[in-house]
Parts: sequence; C-alpha cells; structure tokens
Amino acid sequence: MQQGDGTEAQVTWEDQQNINKFGRLNNRSHELDDEIKLAKEANESLEDAGNELILSDEDVVRFQIGEVFTHMPKDEVEDRLESMKEEAAKKLERLKEEKESILAQMDELKKILYGKFKDAINLEED
Amino acid sequence: MAAASSSSSGVAAEERRGIPAAAFVEDVETYLTQSGLDVNASLSVLQERLQQYKIVEMKLLAQQRDLQAKIPDIEKCLDIVAALQSKKGSGEPLITDYEVSEGIYSRARIEETDSVCLWLGANVMLEYSCDEANALLKKNLENAKASLAVLVADLQFLRDQETITQVTIARVYNWDVHQRRMKEAMKES
Repeated sequence: MQQGDGTEAQVTWEDQQNINKFGRLNNRSHELDDEIKLAKEANESLEDAGNELILSDEDVVRFQIGEVFTHMPKDEVEDRLESMKEEAAKKLERLKEEKESILAQMDELKKILYGKFKDAINLEED
Repeated sequence: MAAASSSSSGVAAEERRGIPAAAFVEDVETYLTQSGLDVNASLSVLQERLQQYKIVEMKLLAQQRDLQAKIPDIEKCLDIVAALQSKKGSGEPLITDYEVSEGIYSRARIEETDSVCLWLGANVMLEYSCDEANALLKKNLENAKASLAVLVADLQFLRDQETITQVTIARVYNWDVHQRRMKEAMKES
C-alpha cells in the first residue's frame, strides 16, 4: 500500500473486502499465466508429435505411458493423439477464458478502488 | 493484539484451521486507544503478525507443491493399469521400452496379467488385482485433489489476512503522519 499524506478516505470493511478480492484475483492471474504457458507448450508438443507420426513409416510406435514406452500400432497411436490434442485444446481454451474473466473483474475493482482512494492506493504490477 | 472491535457488517471468519483471522480496524484512533499501544508499538505488533503469516504461507506453499507433483504421478499409474487391462484377452503381450538407468533403455515383455504391484511407500509393495488397483489409485487421486482444494482455500484465507494486516499497517502509519502534520500546523498558528 502506498504511504499517503494522511488525508485519504477512511477504509471500510467493504473496501477491505474489495482489496482482498483484488489480491486474490491478481494471484490467480499469475498462476494462470504459468498454466497457460504450460498448456500452450503441451499443445505444440502434441502437434509436433502428430506431424512426426505422419512422416514416419513405421507400423509400431513407442508411445509413452507413465514412465515407459509401450509398443503400439500406429493407428491406435494416431487415435490417442487426436483425443489428447482435443483435450489439450479445450483445456487451453478454458484457461484463456478464465484469465479474461479475471482481468475484467480486476478492471472493475480498479475503477471502484481508484474512484474512492485515487492516489492513496496503487493496484499496478511493480 | 487486544481484541479490536468486530466488523459491523461483514461476517469475517474468526480463524481457519489454525490460522487466526486478522481483525479489521474500523477506526485507527479507536483501535490505538483500545489497545493501549502507541503508534510505534502497534506498528511493530502488526509487522510481527505479518511475518508469522508469511511463515505459514511458506509452509502451505510447500505442501501445495508436493500435492501438485503427486497428482500427475497417480494419473500416470492409472494410465498404465488401464493399458495392461486393455491388453487382457487380446492374447498379445505388452511390449515396452523402459529405462534401466539414465540414458539406458531395455525392452520388457509383459504377459497378460490379472494383477499389478503398487508401491505404498515405506519400502512396502503390495500385489493387487487390476480392479482393486484401479479402485485404490482412483481413491488416492480423489483424496489428493480434495486435499489440494482445501489447501488452496487455506492459502486464499491466509493471503486475505496478510492483505488486511498490510492495509492496517498503512492506515496506522498514515494516521500518525496526519496527526503530526496537524500538530505542526497548530504550533505555527
């Protein structure tokens, strides 16, 4: 919190709750950034795997399950890869939507809090 | 800290699973008179409270990291059991390449099997039928996810208390600055 000049408005419980909520949303927003980065990488890896699969002419592919690489027929691997790609894409979509919603809520709260406290509060990333 | 006046409208939790709630200060002047502390003493009490919260936060974050690592492990185990079960009845063994040592792989041939061994920790491994193994792993997964959810809620509560404490520190400090300014102004007049 910024050190004000002592003449700012009084902080009510409602203000405190807004500040708390802003803090929570900000934390979640950072977590989401990390999760979105991982999800993007996962999507790309699956895409690359799919491309490699098309190029390869082997019938048996070593498909990773857990810590081991099981020998699986190419067709089955293709199917599995398709469903994995779908899931990964949906997950990325979900995360992006959550991030957008959080940013919108944070903007709302900024309006309210800056409106009341003006200079006495700082809600920007340092 | 002396018990400050409870909030008028909000319903704040008193504490959560051992984490004490930070009392919200309605009015700084009242708070200081009631607690009998001067500004500096009050600020150091609040700073100490904040430090204690931070220590608990570190602990919870470590627990969260452990759980977040555990969940994908359990999911991998479930995948393997599912793979073994899907091979049953096909008459073919499951052939896999596994890591013998770092960088060195070997091939294994897993015949049809009805059972798997699960590592339970503490140097104990038990044999289970595939169905039992599935049930056990699924239960562990649910428990881990539930624990994680509780932990996340704990962290949110804790961070709220930290924020309240930080805001209170700023308000007490600002009130003090304001008081000094007023005294200066009165002296000059």
